[in-house]
Amino acid sequence: MQKVETEALLKIKDIRKSFGSNEVLKGINLELNEGEVVALIGGNGAGKSTLMKIIMGIYQQDAGDLFIHGVKTDLSKSSLALANGIYLVPQEPMLFPNMTVEENIAMGFNENKIEMHKKIVDMIAHLGWDLKLDRRANTLSIAEQQLVEILKGLLRESRILIFDEPTSSLSFNEAESLFELIEDLKKKNIGIFYITHRLSEVFEIATHVAIMRDGIVSLSGAVSEFDKSHLVKALLPPGSELKTAGESTAVDYSKAKPMLELKDFSGYGFSGLNFEVYPGEILGVAGVVGAGRTEFATTIFGMDKVKGGKVLLDGEDITGMGTRKVLDKGINYVPEDRFLNGIFKIRETGWNISSAQLRNMSKIFLNKKAEKELADKYINDFRIKVTSQDQLMGSLSGGNQQKAVIARALSTNPKVVILDEPTRGIDAGARGDVYSIIGKLKQQGVAVLLISSDLEEIVELSDRAISMYQGRINHTFPKEKIDLDNLTAASFGVYEEGE
Amino acid sequence: MNNFGKTMKSKLLSWEMLLVVVLVLEIIIFGQINPRFLRINVLMGSINDFISICVISLFVTFVMITGGIDIQAGSIIGLTSITVGMLWQDKGLNIWVAAIFAIVVGLLCGLLSGFFVAYTGVQPMVVTLGGSFLYSGLALAVVNMSSSEAYEGIGGFPESFMKLSSGNVAGIPNQLIIFIALIIISYILLHKTKYGRYVFLCGVNPSASEYSGIRVKPIIMSTYGLSGMSASIAGLILTSYLGSAKSDLGATYTLPIITAVVLGGTSNTGGKGGVIGTAIAAVVIGILKFGLNMSGMPSQYLDIPVGILLIVVLTFRMTSSNPAVVAKFKKLTGKK
Amino acid sequence: MNVVKKLFKAREISSFLCLLAMFLLVGLVNPSFLKPQNIMLCFNGSIVYILIAVGMAFVILTGEIDCSIGAQLGLAAAVCATFLKNEAPWGVAILLALLVGLVCGTINGFGVTVLHIPSIIMTLGTNGIYRGLIYVYTQGKWVENLPAGFKGLAQTNIFGNLCWFFVMDLVIMLLVFLYLRKTRHGKRFAAVGDNEMGADLIGIPVARTKMLAFIICGAFSALGAVLYVSRVGFVTAISGNGYEMKAIAACVIGGISLSGGVGTVAGATIGGIIMASISRLLVFLKISSDYDNTITGILLIAIVVIDSLAQRRSVEKARRERLAARVTETEGGADHE
Repeated sequence: MQKVETEALLKIKDIRKSFGSNEVLKGINLELNEGEVVALIGGNGAGKSTLMKIIMGIYQQDAGDLFIHGVKTDLSKSSLALANGIYLVPQEPMLFPNMTVEENIAMGFNENKIEMHKKIVDMIAHLGWDLKLDRRANTLSIAEQQLVEILKGLLRESRILIFDEPTSSLSFNEAESLFELIEDLKKKNIGIFYITHRLSEVFEIATHVAIMRDGIVSLSGAVSEFDKSHLVKALLPPGSELKTAGESTAVDYSKAKPMLELKDFSGYGFSGLNFEVYPGEILGVAGVVGAGRTEFATTIFGMDKVKGGKVLLDGEDITGMGTRKVLDKGINYVPEDRFLNGIFKIRETGWNISSAQLRNMSKIFLNKKAEKELADKYINDFRIKVTSQDQLMGSLSGGNQQKAVIARALSTNPKVVILDEPTRGIDAGARGDVYSIIGKLKQQGVAVLLISSDLEEIVELSDRAISMYQGRINHTFPKEKIDLDNLTAASFGVYEEGE
Repeated sequence: MNNFGKTMKSKLLSWEMLLVVVLVLEIIIFGQINPRFLRINVLMGSINDFISICVISLFVTFVMITGGIDIQAGSIIGLTSITVGMLWQDKGLNIWVAAIFAIVVGLLCGLLSGFFVAYTGVQPMVVTLGGSFLYSGLALAVVNMSSSEAYEGIGGFPESFMKLSSGNVAGIPNQLIIFIALIIISYILLHKTKYGRYVFLCGVNPSASEYSGIRVKPIIMSTYGLSGMSASIAGLILTSYLGSAKSDLGATYTLPIITAVVLGGTSNTGGKGGVIGTAIAAVVIGILKFGLNMSGMPSQYLDIPVGILLIVVLTFRMTSSNPAVVAKFKKLTGKK
Repeated sequence: MNVVKKLFKAREISSFLCLLAMFLLVGLVNPSFLKPQNIMLCFNGSIVYILIAVGMAFVILTGEIDCSIGAQLGLAAAVCATFLKNEAPWGVAILLALLVGLVCGTINGFGVTVLHIPSIIMTLGTNGIYRGLIYVYTQGKWVENLPAGFKGLAQTNIFGNLCWFFVMDLVIMLLVFLYLRKTRHGKRFAAVGDNEMGADLIGIPVARTKMLAFIICGAFSALGAVLYVSRVGFVTAISGNGYEMKAIAACVIGGISLSGGVGTVAGATIGGIIMASISRLLVFLKISSDYDNTITGILLIAIVVIDSLAQRRSVEKARRERLAARVTETEGGADHE
């Protein structure tokens, strides 16, 4: 028994997992001890979520074992994982929307109702949260829903908590209170896996860090051993360097006439936006998730109602036009959520590329020749890796899918292109290709709005940058002022002029 | 992996080929059991029994490609039938004018349901369930307006209208000609026009379609209009064939229609499929029922093989596309 | 927030008000409709519908659908009636009917949870199969001349001319209501329909719950079949035809959402009574009962459309409020919409 106590809380030994021919985890070894926060970082497709789902019993590993306090443990079902004190706080809250907060928490517990109620009330009081138990889950904000999820984990007296990008949908203040909570949990000797995309968080709350890349752990150890540049290096494939758009030509603003102008533009999630984009200019838009970046872009694109102000395209008022009209006028948008709004997964790559331009190429009957030429052109130009344009979109890698979505946006020959997180979750090679596409657009005199959470990308590419904070533009940066520190500070609302 | 696109395409092609093989096998087997079955006029004439299913399933394919379902087509058949009869007998309209009017009624019925599906976000299943109540009820209401009794039906149509089902051109029954014409029309519409492409895209990902500037809602609505219209055409043919207009024709067609579409290779979740597969599948089902009937199986039994066929096809498709199901199945049956 | 809560609670209340309004309106036109005797007849007419709607509610709560219960009911009724006719003990006949229901439900559940066939298609298929089996079993003949005592069960009244089966239905409904709302096990059904992934994550066996829902649904169809046999007194090959549609409509009218997770069996019961009363209402309005289906169709579409639009609006409103809350109010151009 004595020996068991010294063993790690959770030991992950040589876990392997494949989906079809795609090997997602190639032998993962990790340890988690009591009171540790292990930050798991890595790009999309690196295998973080898969690994966590295996621990949680949602997936089963193909090979390898899991040990809890040194005892090999079967976690092949979520009920087994729960019984072993493991709880995953999912990235997207998984509440029952039609049940109350209390019912949501009590669901799946075996205590009697009165005891349970007391426990929940005590726990909330202890945490000092403001959460009404009789509210229905679908009236809660995302942050509140996440609090409920965390409560569920805490009430189970879990020994191991897994947070999957918890701050991605939280506001700055909410994130701060989450960090305090995690500090508290550390003291209670709970072991925590913390998946994140934000390196700054690692240094803020984690005790240990593990970087995953292509199904392996490329670096792990105590946080104190590393600094940011170590982590960035470990995230990149060996030998690669950040590709850039090449030598960018400065925009001559003196003679330029703005291509896109926003005047006091307001809508749901943003207010009073004023800026302009010039032909051949890349305007970077920085800001944390929820700052209103995507919202203003989709509103320009005719997806939501305009509350006030004006949008001018090449001097023409296009405020409040529907998506088709906006497309015809010469704006196109590459959506943030590729799977939801971007790709036609079960159809051919060619169909994907042509879908927006189809109606200009054919009246009633499809012009298959023109369609094929269009698709071939972009497949060659963008180096989209396919066997033929008939290859199904779903079988392409994320980077190639993204290139196809960008191709679709450019196929309408827009004067303004809005790119929303164009390189999220794609590999370094594809990233370089996307950057060179953006560079070409600039040369062709297209006005580019580049919305990105990857601030380095904005630094690298932008001619000018604006930052958004809580629905408003809080700063505008000329080229020489764009650097990581300034953008980060502005995104979090702490930038001061003249720094 | 690299040949994924191609293999999918050839797989689909071979699926249609497989259906043809099944069809040929059916004809051979039933021919063995009852040689009369092989007579060309019997075989061609058999289409009378299942033309409605063939015609409607062609256009229900459109609905299912958008990810929807249509269980109201049967009730539109009855409504069309009684409408044409009433207009002709009680209002004294020319039979063909009445027929066109009835087709418009079918179109409107379909569009109404389609409107609710596309614009209010209610599940297609519920809307078309409500539609089937509503249109079969309306059919009875039309009967009440008419001077004749419901159970008798309206008969005595002019010769030209009766020719719709009984006539032939160069020995080919008119019904078969209509069917082939509709196959060609629906094939061109679905696979060769921009509209057809939009039907597919809306089925795969409506949101991405919106971002591509496609008007998703009218497209979805229109597919229900098409299937309503096809149900009217089926209703006219059936009325002509039976020689009497009745309000309750077609009440039992939902199962064979959905089976034909699914058997034809159209995905029940939308985005994939085609009318050629549906057309062949509809004939496979029709011949199956006809052949079994000729081999002595009472016609009331015939939903059993059709139901089994539907489930077997889907089981096959689900297990082949989802390895988890296979694993689960193996576990359950205790193998390995 | 309170409004939302009330709205939620009002789901079956609003169905009840709908029922009340229908009765009162008809009563205005024809006061004799509101005589207790007549209202009890409406209730008596609903004894089968209530049971199948309650059974259906289990399936719909889990987010699935069962289009085969009409045929299940017919098959169970045919078996029950045949054994009764051959002078088997009543208990045996009833148990055999239940067995039929259980087997039918199990087959449906197997197809949906193990073979992963979408429930609408699976049950559309089995509906055809079960219906065909009725023909095979009865040879297309009527099953009649049942023991008078058994038929008499449905004629046994308590409280005036209220059939005791109706009271039995209410008791069953109440028990099911308590089971689904108050017990941990019963709450699983709504949880699975409300958020399948979430249910899985907290260890609820999703597939087993759905399977159970189909089996229970089959059992209720069979129970409905027993009442059907007693009430109607004979069984034909088309007995129960279209009952699946009536049951679905009853659930929807009773406030059960077809997307799963929302609604109660109390609502289903009210829906069942409404479905059974429409043709009677029409008679008292001196309108042909042929309009029964028309009214049902309009009612069904109207209810789901209004419900869906209201839900969409509230979701959209919540989204917009959430987005608006993120925007800081500064001096220039800040608006309060």
